[in-house]
This record gives sequence, structure tokens and C-alpha cells, in this order.
Amino acid sequence: MSFLELRQVSKTYGTGANEVHALREVNLAVDAGALVAVMGPSGSGKSTLLTIAGSLEDPTDGQVHIGGIDLSGMSRDDKARLRRRSVGYVFQDFNLLPGLTAVENVSLPLELDGLAARKAKAAGLAALEELGLADRADHYPDQLSGGERQRVAIARAVVGDRRLLMADEPSGALDSENGEAVMRLVLAACRRGVAAVVVTHDAQLASWADRVVFIRDGRIVDQTTAAVGPDALLARSPNQ
Amino acid sequence: MTTVTLERPQIELGRGDGGMPARQAVVRWAWRLFRREWRQQLLVLLLIVVAVAATFVGATVAVNTRLPANEGFGKAQDLAILQGASAGGKGPVASTPSRLRAEIAAIQHRFGTVDVIENETISIPGSIDTYNIRAQDPNGAFGQPMLSLLSGHYPVGPDQVALTSGLASTLGLHLGDVWHQGGQSREVVGIVQNPQSLLDEFALVAPGQVTQPSSVTVLFDAHGFNVAKLGANFESIASVAAAQSNAINPTTILLSLVTIGMLLIALVAVGGFTVLAQRRLRSIGMLGAVGATDKNIKLVVRANGVIVGVVGALIGVVLGFVIWLAYRPHLETSSHHLFGVFALPWGVIGASVLLAVIATYFAASRPAKAMTRVPIVAALAGRPAPPRQVHRSAIPGLVILVIGFFLLGVAGGGQNGGGAGFLVIGLVLVVVAVILLSPLALSLLARLSHRGPIAGRLAVRDLARYRARSGSALSAISIGVLIAVVICIVAAARYGNVLDYAGPNLANNQLIVYTPNSFNGPGPLPTAEQMAAAARSAESIGAGLGTHDVVELQLASAQLIHAARGRNFSGQLYVATPQLLRAFGISQSSIDPSADVLSMRPGFSSISDMQLVYGNFGNKGGPPPGNGPPTQFPCPKGSCLANPVIQEVAALPSGTSAPNTLVTEHAIRTLGLESSVSTQGWLIQADQPLTASQISGARLTASQAGMTIETKNDQPDSSVIINWATVFGFVLALGILAMTIGLIRSETASDLRILTATGASSYTRRTLTGVTAGALGLLGAVVGTIAGYVATIGFLRTNSLNGLSSLSSVPVKNLLVILIGIPLVAFVGGWLLAGREPPAIAHQPLE
Repeated sequence: MSFLELRQVSKTYGTGANEVHALREVNLAVDAGALVAVMGPSGSGKSTLLTIAGSLEDPTDGQVHIGGIDLSGMSRDDKARLRRRSVGYVFQDFNLLPGLTAVENVSLPLELDGLAARKAKAAGLAALEELGLADRADHYPDQLSGGERQRVAIARAVVGDRRLLMADEPSGALDSENGEAVMRLVLAACRRGVAAVVVTHDAQLASWADRVVFIRDGRIVDQTTAAVGPDALLARSPNQ
Repeated sequence: MTTVTLERPQIELGRGDGGMPARQAVVRWAWRLFRREWRQQLLVLLLIVVAVAATFVGATVAVNTRLPANEGFGKAQDLAILQGASAGGKGPVASTPSRLRAEIAAIQHRFGTVDVIENETISIPGSIDTYNIRAQDPNGAFGQPMLSLLSGHYPVGPDQVALTSGLASTLGLHLGDVWHQGGQSREVVGIVQNPQSLLDEFALVAPGQVTQPSSVTVLFDAHGFNVAKLGANFESIASVAAAQSNAINPTTILLSLVTIGMLLIALVAVGGFTVLAQRRLRSIGMLGAVGATDKNIKLVVRANGVIVGVVGALIGVVLGFVIWLAYRPHLETSSHHLFGVFALPWGVIGASVLLAVIATYFAASRPAKAMTRVPIVAALAGRPAPPRQVHRSAIPGLVILVIGFFLLGVAGGGQNGGGAGFLVIGLVLVVVAVILLSPLALSLLARLSHRGPIAGRLAVRDLARYRARSGSALSAISIGVLIAVVICIVAAARYGNVLDYAGPNLANNQLIVYTPNSFNGPGPLPTAEQMAAAARSAESIGAGLGTHDVVELQLASAQLIHAARGRNFSGQLYVATPQLLRAFGISQSSIDPSADVLSMRPGFSSISDMQLVYGNFGNKGGPPPGNGPPTQFPCPKGSCLANPVIQEVAALPSGTSAPNTLVTEHAIRTLGLESSVSTQGWLIQADQPLTASQISGARLTASQAGMTIETKNDQPDSSVIINWATVFGFVLALGILAMTIGLIRSETASDLRILTATGASSYTRRTLTGVTAGALGLLGAVVGTIAGYVATIGFLRTNSLNGLSSLSSVPVKNLLVILIGIPLVAFVGGWLLAGREPPAIAHQPLE
């Protein structure tokens, strides 16, 4: 059973002459434990796909199901609750909250969900420890390196048994070594049963995925079922 | 690569919104952000600190300056004053000692415990002043608050006495000295005081040591019984408190002022919090992305507002308390009673703190709500919400302005302060009208700017487009200017009144020595020897100040009356003696021979309906009882001269107590007032401002001769009040501009980038920001000035003391500073600070 499912999802911005079709009748299913990479040129609709799949935006048409629940009938607060319990985000520029320490950033979704601060902190520390950041738990984001910040962001995205991880260019602001480390962590989360969707321009990083989806002009134009490495991916470019 | 698929149960969504842990997490984050970014909220913080500290000090001073409600009662609820035989039988109950004892016993029998304080009035040798020998039990049931020991100990036997420090000084006694009085010798064993009245000078002896009391105060508690029924010499603390109570008291006025002040702060804070919320847009977007609900997001912004309010209020309270601690000794001296360090009006202080928190909470509510309208994706990208079109009707604002104008008229026509309530409500309504009409003023300005250059046109148009933001900034600037303008206008009107002259009493190098009161009373006229002695004392004081410029001040039985509605003449009408004129460099030849009155008050000669009353009506002792000076015009001949010839002489001194208006010797002769001329005192002018020690020495010399002195008081000059009000309005307006201009321009950052891309230089960017700031400053100054005049006209049009004619005194310079200075400085500031392209919010770094 797919944990994330997009059915005939379309997204249109603006009206009349200003109308822009960001997504057109997109169908996508991601099973629990699967890592799906989304690739495509700028403006192709990758990020829109990610935000709609993660309930940050509503589609103009179509349906989004997460864990079997149709998002179209949900209120804003219900979607917020869904995100803090089931959906984690990792962004290119980390998006950690200034003023909160690493462990407080990680435990924030749990606290927002009503878990007592002490228990949330313990869970946050455990998540950081798994990523080798226990000793940086009480540091503020501006005291961490780029790689450390992204690891904290990943810890926040998976803490509390989240089942869906959405990552938008997670290695975009990192060097190749840190970028690979981040992908390794994402893959490790998938091995624990997390469904992950990763938007990336980097073919080499996409090669870590179980499946690569190509998107252009808002449509999925191709997808691989089993990536065999970055060179092969380049060879299978849709332009060819 | 293999795909691991785990069978997991479907997601079950709970119904909670995170409850207390979520709120705690959000508030904790808001607190951390406040600690990181408090500098960006400094203006709001400072305004709250100043408002709360000023309320703290003002209310505490107002409450403690009044005599304590239990003055004379101590801890008792009731008292009876019994007159002793030595009082001469003048009191309502003049009694022999035995009868006094019987009456005290009767009170004790009826009401239980009593505390008896016996006083015997004694004259100070060689003086008309008196003091009391007081027998009081320091451990009495009720009288303890009226007695405290400064040094030594309380007297315990018939040969011991404790003195107040003033009496000890007068009698030249110290601790351990022996005081001989009435044939009895007592050792001075202590220095005492009455904390409820520092003017109370007495010699404390042990209970029972006053054998011939002039009066006996019996303190007791009647337990709610109305003791007034027992006689005029019985009084209860409740009846005293009721007589002193007044709904329009300093506390009420202060609370009204602080409410208006907090409204202004709230308006300023709306802009500040909006700027801050925009700066945190990406963080707030991230908060939404990790699952924060709209309530959580609103709470972040509101919590920040509350934190600013609480922190500002607490700092204000601490600052106010520190100022109070420093000022308390001076206040105790000037109000002649002691009060505790914590004798604070907790209710008013609490209310001001609460108002500060409420103001910042509501100020933060608007940006909080706006934040929830920004889609999460837009917030994560740092794109602020698109501007909302605001279409508001002018009608509600105009209606409220008219109602406010009407109520201010009712307040202006009120008698004896009865209109104070209407005054406060009227002012609040004018403020509300300004808030409602400000966005419309922006639209009007935009319409007027069609033909300007592109940068200016764009700037003004953006102000109108984004008036959801700029409107609140304009309101805050306008209200700040309104307050400043009202103060300027009212001060100019009051100080510009040539009849009821206001201002400092004397220059700081001047001093007036007044003849003893007995010289001018109903008794016999002073002899030539007494006058000569007084003159010698004045000369001696002058010599002590290093000057021989001692001018005799003479009064005649003549007064000026303004026989028309409005204020009347105030001040002394001294005689224009040749010596006095010479002292100010005025030659006799420069005086119109037909002039009856000389005055330095500008415009005084053009006042109509003036009359110079003399004889009985002009008597220094006042007009005959029940027969006031004539009010009809022209007044009857024989006791009054209608339309006296008034000549303005700028060289005369300007102090209200100085001889600024004189009756000429010509008038004295014509009206036959020569015999009424008498000496009132001497004006002494030193070369340098008088020092405190010089004033102290002069006062001592004068008191030894039974005379009094007057030196420059603390009354501010009109220019001081008007200038400070102008500075207040100026700084506040620029502060608000500094906070809001960045927000308004950042909203149009994309326009700026497009302009730059199309070849606009830094000149265009500077012009854009400069015109935005200047236009906002100009509109604020104009709207505030108009509203200030509307409010003042509304009040003065019905005021019997200060009619609309008082508005003829226009503080032109200060109004020009406001109307031209604010927009000019705002423009220049905006120009100078906008050289670089402002960083777009979307490009602000996030960790």
C-alpha cells in the first residue's frame, strides 16, 4: 500500500492571461520505506509537487492521500496536525528556527503536538544521537556548520516516528561530502520505513533513490524504477 | 537496491492542538527571539518604559503630596477636641481641668479605649510664633503615627522633654541641655517629629505633665457610630475622607492620560510588530511547515507583544521606583509630612502595567492575524502578503470628530473642572477620528501627486496602496504631533494672555523683600522708624548679594479691572516712581505725560474695556465686603477710570511678581491717591544669578527683621514648555518613521529591483525612500496640526476664561518646525540611508 499517493493532481497559479500551470494531472505513489527522487529543470514544478504532496499547498484539482487519508477534506489545523505527526521537511537552506537550540528545533514538532517538553527533549536528543550530533544538542543554529545544520533538519524531519520525509534540494547548500552524508541519512530513514521524496538537480545524489521521477512543464515525463548510478541516469535523460 | 515496505497502521489524527506544551514551546521561542532582537523593538520598549515610569512617579507624587487621610487621627477612626481653660473659653467646650477629665472619662466609658493628647500653647520669646508643650504617650493606642523619635529617647519623667528639631533650633537647645520654661527645668532627652505634619513644632513631655492644656485631643474608635451627632468638636476620619474625595482627582486624570498614551504607543507598536513579523516571516513559515496551527502562529506574534509590554512595564516600574526613591526626600520636605518608601498607589501602577501589556497585546494582534493569512509556501520563500486594498468611508471618522469637537465644547464650558470627564472623552474621540481619517489622507495625497517625477509619484502611490501599513504609522505620527501641537497652542494661549499674566515670577538675579505683613494689615500704619528699619534690612540684604540696586516698590489704592468676559488682570500695580523707572533705564521723557498705566506686557495697550478702579474698590485690602468692583463699562466716575491710557514700555521687567505694570504718578495725582501710596517691598537686582547660599542668607536676614523674600520659582518659561512639546512631537514622529519606513519600502522591494534593472540609479532609490519618509512626515504633521487646532478650538470656543481670541498667540516658530522640519528631516534621513538597495526579505538568511 502506498503511503503517499497523488491522483490526477494539477496546480494552477493566477487567472486569465496570468494563468500558470505548475502541475498537470500528476500521478505519483510512494510506498513506505521507498526513496523517490524528483528531477527536472527549473520551473518544471518539482517544488510545487513537493509542497502539495506535503500538504503545504492545496492542489487546484486531484487528490492527495497520506497514510490513506484524503487531504482535500481536511481543515488547516488538521493538516498542521498531520504534518507534525507524519510529515517532515528538509530544505536547501536548513530553515532551523533561530533562537532555539539544535535539540529544541528537533523536538519542536513533538511539543507542538502536545508532548511535554522534557519527553520531547529526550526524543530530540535520541534523534540527534542517531545522527551523531548529541554533543551539539545545546548549540544554536548559528553555532553549527552547514552539514550539522542539515543533519539537525533531518533529525527534526524524522523525529517522533514520522513516516513521510520531503526534502527540497537537501544538499544544495552543502559540499559533495556533506551532500552524500545527508543522502545517506535520508536513505537510512527509508530503511526504517519512512517514505521519502527528494527534489534534486544532482544526478549523482538521485542515484541513491529507489526510483527517479522526471518532471517537465508540470508533467511527469519519465521515471526509473531502479537507478543504477549517476552515469546511467544521465544516459537515460528524457531528451535522448 | 531493494525497497523495504513496512506494514504500518493508518494515521489516526487526534483532535488536540498541542495544548499547553505547544503554547509553552511557542512562547519560549518568542522569548528567545525577543532576547535576540530587542534592539529592533527599542522605540516601543522605550515608550512603554517612559509611560509607566512617568505614571509611577506622577501618581505616587500626586497621592503622597496630599495630606494623609488620617492626619490628626493617627490610628483612630474618630477624635474629639476639647478646649481647655487656658484657651480662653473660645472653643465650643471650654472646660476646667476637672471637667476635661470628666469628659474624657465619658468618651472612654462610651467608646472604650482612648488616647489623650494634651497641648499647651506657648509663645516663642520675642516672636509672634507659638509652639505647643504636648503631653502624649508614645505608646498610646492611637497616636503612634503622629510621633516618631529622631534621636535620644522619649521623656519618661517630669524633668525630661523631647523637642522637634525646628523648636530645638529656635530655642538653641541640643540633646543633654536643660530647658527652662515656666519656672520648670527639663533636660532635653530626645528629638522628635510628627511624621504627619513636619510643620508641627512642639515640646513633648511625659503624659500628665501638661497641667493647663489649651486643648485636648481625644482619639478613639466609635465603631461606626456617627460622632458628629455628639457635637461640632467630634470628627470621624470617614467624614474627612468624604469631604476630600473628588472623582476628578490627579489619579483619575493621570489614568486618563496614561490610557491615551498607551493608545498612542499601541499605534506605534503596530508598525513595529508588523516589521518584526515580516522579518521573521520565513521562520514563521517553517513553524507552519513543522505543524504549528494558526493559533500557534498567532501566539508567537502576540507573545512577543506581551513580552515587550511586560518587560517595558517592569523596567518602567523599576525606573519609576528609583526616581521615586531619589525624589522622596524632596517631596517630604515640600509637602511637610513623611511617607513610607512603599506608600505607592498600587492600583494606578498596576493599571498602567496592565494597560501597557494590553496595548502591546492588541498592537501585536493585527500582525499576528496577518501572518496566518500568508500561505506557508510564500512565507518560506519570504514573500509578504500582498497589499490589501482598503476602502474606508470618511463618514465614521468625520462623525466621531464632530462628536469629539462637541464634547470638548461641553468640557470648555464646564465650571470648576466639572467638564474634565468630557475633556478626556472628547480628546479620545479626536484621537480615534485621526486614526480613522489617516488612510484617507494618504489617498488624497496620492491623487495630488499625479504630475510629479517617477520616483516621487511611485513613493506616494505606494503609501496609498500599502495604507494598511502606512495608515497606522501615519495615525501614530499624527497623534504624536497632535499632542505636541495642543500643548504648544494651549501654552502659547495661556502665556500670551496679557491680562492674567503667566510665567516665571522673577529673573534669576532678582529678589523681592516684602515688608512685614503687619505693615499692610488692618492695624495701625507702621511708624517712620519701622519703615526705616525695614529699608535698612533691605539694603543689608542687597549688600549681602553684592549690589546696591535696591528699588523701593510702592502700591497705591488702585487696581486694573477688565470689565468683559474672560480672564481679569492679575499682578501687582506698582507705582512708577522715578527711582523704579531709572532702575530699568527708562527716562521720564520717554513716558507719555497723559499715560495712566505703563506695562511691558505686549499688546496690553490694545485691550478694550479696561478700567482703573481706585479708592475703596482699589484698596489693597480688597473691596468693601459684598460690594465688588464695578463690572459695567464704562464704570461710574469717582471710583473708576474707564479706558485708562496704557503705554507699553518694553524695558520693564517681565516676571509676574516683578513690577511689569505700573500706575503712573500722573494717574496718582489726577485720581488723588497720593495718601494711599505705601511701601510694599524692595526689588533687589544682583549682577549675577543668585546662589542658593545667597538666597538662604537673604532669607535669614529678612526673617530676623520679620520680612519675607521672593526669588525665582520653578514656573517654566512658555518657550520651555512649547519647545519641549515640539521636541517630543518631532522625536516621536521620526522614531515612528524610522520603524515603519523600512517595512513600507521592503514591501515594494520587488518594484525597486525592477527599477534598478531598468536602469534606475541610486538617486532614484534615495528619492523613493526619501519621498516616502517625507510624505509620511508631512501628512502626519499636517493631520496632527489640524487635529490639534480642531481639539483646541472645540474646547476654547465655549471657555469663559480663554475664548477663541486666545488663539491669536500662535507659536509660529514651533509649528513651522513641526510642519516643515519633520518632513524635511524625514526626507533627508530617508535619502541618506537609502543608498544601497534594501535587502529583500526573501534574501534574509535563516539558520
